[in-house]
Amino acid sequence: MIQLNQLTKSFTTKTGKGLKKEIQTVNAVNQVSFECKPGRIFSLLGANGAGKTTTLRMIAGIINPTSGSAIVDGVDISQGNDEVKKRIGFLTGSTGLYERLNPDETLDFFGKLYQLPAAELKERKEYLFEKLGINEFRKKRMGQMSTGMKQKVSIARTLIHNPEVLIFDEPTSGLDVITAESIIDLIRESKANNKTVIFSSHIMSEVDLLCDDLAIINKGSIIYNDTFDNFKNDMKAPNLTQEFINRVKEA
Amino acid sequence: MTTLFIIIKKELTELLRDKKTIINSIVLPTLLMPILMFGAMKVMDMVQKSNEAKSIHIGLVNAPENFMKLVKSDSLNTVTNYNQPVDFKKLIDEETIQTAIVFPKGFETQMDSLESSTLQIYRNGTKDNVNGRVSKIMKTYAATLKEQRMAQLHIAPEKLIPFHENYVEIGEQKELIGKRMGGFIPYIFILTMWGGCLLAGIDLVTGEKERKTIETTLSLPVSKFKILFGKAVVASLLGFIPALLNLVGLIVGLKLIDNIPDTFKLAINEMLNVQSVTMILLLLIPFSLFLSGLIIALVAGASTFKEAQSKASPIIMLLLIPLVLALMPGIEFSWATVFIPVLNIGLGVKEIMAGTINIPQYIAMLVSLIIFAVAAIYFSYKKFSDENAILK
Repeated sequence: MIQLNQLTKSFTTKTGKGLKKEIQTVNAVNQVSFECKPGRIFSLLGANGAGKTTTLRMIAGIINPTSGSAIVDGVDISQGNDEVKKRIGFLTGSTGLYERLNPDETLDFFGKLYQLPAAELKERKEYLFEKLGINEFRKKRMGQMSTGMKQKVSIARTLIHNPEVLIFDEPTSGLDVITAESIIDLIRESKANNKTVIFSSHIMSEVDLLCDDLAIINKGSIIYNDTFDNFKNDMKAPNLTQEFINRVKEA
Repeated sequence: MTTLFIIIKKELTELLRDKKTIINSIVLPTLLMPILMFGAMKVMDMVQKSNEAKSIHIGLVNAPENFMKLVKSDSLNTVTNYNQPVDFKKLIDEETIQTAIVFPKGFETQMDSLESSTLQIYRNGTKDNVNGRVSKIMKTYAATLKEQRMAQLHIAPEKLIPFHENYVEIGEQKELIGKRMGGFIPYIFILTMWGGCLLAGIDLVTGEKERKTIETTLSLPVSKFKILFGKAVVASLLGFIPALLNLVGLIVGLKLIDNIPDTFKLAINEMLNVQSVTMILLLLIPFSLFLSGLIIALVAGASTFKEAQSKASPIIMLLLIPLVLALMPGIEFSWATVFIPVLNIGLGVKEIMAGTINIPQYIAMLVSLIIFAVAAIYFSYKKFSDENAILK
């Protein structure tokens, strides 16, 4: 379960030339509130720069909110980032992999830092390697892999500690359909295992396929938050993409 | 502690799988000293031999017979006689001759009447070999004339030497060489260490940004301080190891190279004993942590390797200036200099190698370096925790 309450993130930037500098404060995320329930997939949609990544980073404990609160699997993010991070599997477009390590070493590294017992780590690693078809390249260095191979390993390292909360930001971006399908399978499996899943994508067919609840973020604020069924029922445009564009424009 | 070791192991594995790191941090530092020593010896030997084999062309005006004889006694000297002074500048510029010696008319008469004369010597000050050899000829000729005059005046040569200076060296050879050479050793250590820390620091922080792994690292259930400290330890190791290998290279080089005089070799061996090497290495541990902390703090906000290099590179001046000061005469290792980083290492290593280090001052220097290292790590932690900078 994730509960966001009036979550805000401000960034300060210095502008101006020479000695005359002005400090500007910009709210990248402005009083965002929503709830993601276990056993359901929550889609966070928004255009580039809308505040999705900042929101997801705050939930994952990577950056601290300026104000507001977030409870992740019963832990307030202000109470300790490490405890929150243990409960989360975080995968975004900017969570790359260590190029000079191979999948085996990568998962060992993550598993050990998540303090998994050795036997559990081995078992979990073998399961994920088998499930994602990583076995054939498990000793190959990440730097020598294709985008698809890397993404499979990224998914595996996200799931290695079997987290209660999963955050996927465009997990299938740039992948072939077969790899994308295996990842969608995993997201479905996570839902079936009663995990809380936040999923963000620009591919509306995937949203249609996976989404249970939906929020649209625009310029740092939530402009829509309801179940996906209600969203579809309220649709005025002929397809999801058009409906999304219209709602952003109206906001 | 286990978490820190896991991070250090991973960072080291990554860095040591990079060919650039292996070459810059392991191969080059090990080979640098033997190559420098061996190469310098060989080059000096070759230059000397080649100079000795070169013939020099001398222009002479009014040269007396005995001088001509002296010049021609070396078959490598060739002579052109001129009846009167000509435009020697032009001739030397055109390389028709390399130097010219003009004796005044009546030089021999002046000599016979025991008068003092003046010779004009045309030369190009940059031609060391030619000038050195001409000076030698002039000295020999002057000495011959002096002997002749003394014989003529019935003066025994001893009468012109009021006293002989007999120096009794009470300083140890080790102290002498240590103080002279000890100043150069920190140069090599510190610059190699800087290179190692810089490369590793940039790779571990800016490299992670470029490879888009910084967010992955920050998503781990590990405090930012542990992540930063793990990186700083690895960067300092990659600075410390090359410095250590430099020292090993120096010792091995001295054992392998034949041309080094035995007294010098003996003194160096005595200087680089277990105690002094341990004392030097103990200083380098906090210093490498200080350097890596400083570098990480500087490059934390950089998003490309190039930007990081341009941010960190000017610091080299802050290292070079104290190192140059450490070589200057009059600047000694004292309570006034013991707390100035880099300068204290420069001066301290000199004293350690000479065997004259003051132990309370050494401890004070070590403690001050540890304090500087802690401050640099804290500073880098502050920068590393800056969300605007690290996720830029």
